[in-house]
Amino acid sequence: MIRKPFISTYIRRLAISLLLLIVTTGASAQFKFFSLQKDSIPTFRGFAVSFDLVGLAMMELSDHGQYEGAFRLNLHDEWFPIVEVGYGKANHERDEVTRLTYRTKAPYFRIGIDKNLLKKKHGPNRLYGGLRYCFTSYNVDLEREAFPDPVWQWNTGFGATDVACNYHWIEAVLGVDAKIFGPLHLGWSVRYKRRIAHNDGIIGKTWYVPGFGIYGDTRLGGTFNVIVDI
Amino acid sequence: MMKRFTYLFVVVMIAACSSIDCPVDAIVQTKYQIRNSDGTELKLTDTLTIVSARLDGRDTSLIDPTLYNKGTNISEFSIPISYQHPEDMLRFIFTNVSFKETDTVWIKKNDIPHFESVDCSANFFHDITDVRYTQHAIDSLVIKNSHVDYDKKTVHFYLYPKARN
Repeated sequence: MIRKPFISTYIRRLAISLLLLIVTTGASAQFKFFSLQKDSIPTFRGFAVSFDLVGLAMMELSDHGQYEGAFRLNLHDEWFPIVEVGYGKANHERDEVTRLTYRTKAPYFRIGIDKNLLKKKHGPNRLYGGLRYCFTSYNVDLEREAFPDPVWQWNTGFGATDVACNYHWIEAVLGVDAKIFGPLHLGWSVRYKRRIAHNDGIIGKTWYVPGFGIYGDTRLGGTFNVIVDI
Repeated sequence: MMKRFTYLFVVVMIAACSSIDCPVDAIVQTKYQIRNSDGTELKLTDTLTIVSARLDGRDTSLIDPTLYNKGTNISEFSIPISYQHPEDMLRFIFTNVSFKETDTVWIKKNDIPHFESVDCSANFFHDITDVRYTQHAIDSLVIKNSHVDYDKKTVHFYLYPKARN
């Protein structure tokens, strides 16, 4: 009997072949991308802390937003490992149309790395490209005042309390950072977000996710940062 | 370099476009399929009317041939399920020129609040746990799929009417 190989076997062989091809043909170029420039500047160039003003403005001007800060290492002005920590909150009270109330608040975390994409790495300004892995675990309160069943007309309550949810997503980041004076920098970033795993609990879906924003609204996000080099 | 990033930014902007997705037809109903005893599909020659008692004590028509002309020559039909009542009581009225038979059906269920977005209306999904019925014109009523949600294609009950000479 001839054993028929699985399609996954073909896919795996193809993937390994492509990977080997990329590794052999592009090894030198890739090594150059990941390696540090050779000059007299030391590898460890300090670190920076930053605070996001966009989330703060959202918090003040709308019913959801976040407080967010970041800690970024500077490796030779080229690579910047970064940790971002925030606290997201939504308090959407009694929607005008659907009468739904949605509340959540929770911390969130992002970890990743940026690369300075400018040719002159050691200048006062930087252009970043980077990636983040992001995670939050949050509880949702949902309620609606009682309303009549459209057919039977019995009063119907709708709601759930402390529904445990979690969200994992990745972000591709493109940002700039400009020196203003002394250790003070200002910068912004545009982020493209993709959800990779989630648990919306027992209620179906969730609306505002701390750190991610409103799911389904847009996959773009942004920050405007006040940065202090230390 | 900057030119490349401009292109990248435009591509990201285009790829990022999305919208709020409230289900267009957010109706949660139970679907019944009428079957012969051998399991084949049966077209009902009697007229079927289905009513249920409302809060005010009056009957609400779920299938009313005089209003919607739905209850004659049908092999399947869909009717609402209550948002949050532990047991729905329905009356199935079979009529033709020579007889009128009424069966009462009790459907027990668990109700699950379902949330899409604050922009979408509150709704309920259900898990049917039990069905009881009288047997004047109905031979049997069987749960085919117990979970009830927006899916209009899922058949929840097989209805087997009694054979008549």
